[in-house]
Amino acid sequence: MFKNKGSLRFDRMVFFNLLFIAATNTTSAQLSIGLETGYNKNYLYTNTSNRDFTAYKPAGGFNLGIPLSYTVSSWFAVQADPSLIKKNYRTERSDFFEGVYQVNTNTYLQLPVMGHFTFGGQYLKGFLNLGVYGGYWTLGKVKGTLPNILNAVDTVGNINTVYDYQKSYNYNEKYLFDSRKDNRIEFGWLAGVGLSYDLNNVYQVFGEARYYQSLTDQQKKYMINQVPRYNQTYIVTVGVLINLKNLTQGNAF
Amino acid sequence: MLSDYSIYTKTVMKKLFRISSGKIIFSLFFIFLFSCRKDLQSINQPENYIDGNFSQVFDAFWNGMNNNYIFWDIDTTNWDNMYTRYKPVFEKLNLNDSNDVRKSVNYFRQMTQGLVDSHFNLSFGYNAIQDSTVDPAYERKQRSSAFHPWNFYAPLDAARYLDKGYISGYDSTTNAGDLRFALAGTISQKILFFTFNEFELKSSYASSKANGLQPVLKYFFNYVQDPPANIKGIILDLRGNGGGAVEDLNFLMGRMIDKPLHIGYTRYKSGNGRLDYTPWADAVITPQSGAAALTIPIIVLADNYSVSLAELTTMAVHSLPTGRFVGETTWGATGPLAPNEFFNGGQFTAANFLFAYTSSSMFKYIDGNIYEGKGFPPDVSVPYNAAALRAGVDLQLEKAISLIP
Repeated sequence: MFKNKGSLRFDRMVFFNLLFIAATNTTSAQLSIGLETGYNKNYLYTNTSNRDFTAYKPAGGFNLGIPLSYTVSSWFAVQADPSLIKKNYRTERSDFFEGVYQVNTNTYLQLPVMGHFTFGGQYLKGFLNLGVYGGYWTLGKVKGTLPNILNAVDTVGNINTVYDYQKSYNYNEKYLFDSRKDNRIEFGWLAGVGLSYDLNNVYQVFGEARYYQSLTDQQKKYMINQVPRYNQTYIVTVGVLINLKNLTQGNAF
Repeated sequence: MLSDYSIYTKTVMKKLFRISSGKIIFSLFFIFLFSCRKDLQSINQPENYIDGNFSQVFDAFWNGMNNNYIFWDIDTTNWDNMYTRYKPVFEKLNLNDSNDVRKSVNYFRQMTQGLVDSHFNLSFGYNAIQDSTVDPAYERKQRSSAFHPWNFYAPLDAARYLDKGYISGYDSTTNAGDLRFALAGTISQKILFFTFNEFELKSSYASSKANGLQPVLKYFFNYVQDPPANIKGIILDLRGNGGGAVEDLNFLMGRMIDKPLHIGYTRYKSGNGRLDYTPWADAVITPQSGAAALTIPIIVLADNYSVSLAELTTMAVHSLPTGRFVGETTWGATGPLAPNEFFNGGQFTAANFLFAYTSSSMFKYIDGNIYEGKGFPPDVSVPYNAAALRAGVDLQLEKAISLIP
């Protein structure tokens, strides 16, 4: 049954009240919320050693998150970053097969939870993040070019690439998940280092380099001698955190 | 009361303990996390396995199929079961014992008997079994009640149905050891008839060595290019045709169309996993230079022995507005082939012991159906009739003739 707009508003009010209480009921514990975005490069860690002229290459993507930080002490906080992140990769062939490629663009909804260790000065601080994450592979897209065996080149002259035999077929379409094969749940660990700068008691800006290592295969176990595939994602992100307690008490300085 | 020194020592020890325990916790955390991830095992090309014993031969073949077979998506064979069942069986065989080598053929036959790929066959390099083959599709057909022998219709059709002046020829020079045949003519001065035994038309036509196929092809193409007013239809007879070079699809069918003809889709392996596929790519026939769309009826004759490109051509004719298919359901080998490295899938050699001939791509007809292992059904079914043929009557051809007004 759908809730009406009134009860939705009520739920939202309760949530924000709880958030406010959590942020303000202790002197040291403080809740911050913010926004972050960045660029990433994802590597697919797998084995294609039996395939001639074929390699998996990293591909770029972006990530967008809402960091939530709960400060426990002056040097430690617990942080969660619900985020949307692209984990893309490229399959590329070389030499005679130059021009045959596929880019897999994969969108994950991800929840990293980490310990946030801070060190350094009063305004400019360094930090280290260590934690784990869980994610869900929500969308996929495949874009590429392949030789089309049933679209032959009629006049074969000099043979330099496979496309001198067969015309190329270009595609750019939604990836259709196969429930027999695709493992859409991902778990892993993360580590990040960065710098933050307190603009005042409310606003903090930060930049971070972070690494995500998936521990779950992108495929379900569906065959003997299956070669696993793991995402390895390097991200560089910038963002801002807002201290809710100081914001609500209006003591920004 | 503790001395300053002991307090100092305790403080240092506490700090050291804190640092050490922190390091240990972090180390354990990462060791735990890394230990969760599976190692990447080596994965080898099947031809690189050493044929030192049957265990290696089995691994080469089983893994070769695991990584290269294109039809796992629709195949009902449980390949994992084949591993658990036959790995111990092969481990007991002795590669230096010719009896065991012969036994192995039967085990390979049992492992592959249900494969849907109707191109699939195994041939062997070892002396003791050089004459052996494993051909699951053919063996299934032999067990079928509808099974009948391969028949060469051309002599009967030329003698009984074709008008005088028909033309036929052979080519054994373009590819030594390969005997190519073609026949073209008219029936009752109103139907153009063309048949040939394999799709190697383009190479024979372009061959610098004069051969008997060239005049037949010129005769047929002249008619197709500009059909005389008396020609009311075309019969293309692909019965018993074993297929051949993909280029012939454009070379032959491209003369009957004036714009690209979309006949279906192909897809290929995109990785080592059984279910790793590329998207479906459009299968297109390109019109040949100067070709005009034929508006007269085109009837294709095909039978249980129309294989591979003969089936795709049958489907191509069927997809034309004026095309119809008469005869029997085709063989069911619709997936085109290329060398393994072209599409990272398909045919391979296993440990220098056997060669697995198998498709590189999966074909789906324009109607959305995959006819691999099933065969393409005719619009007008006319079963093989041995008694009629013995009496000099080709019922399938007669049916095709009757469909042209």
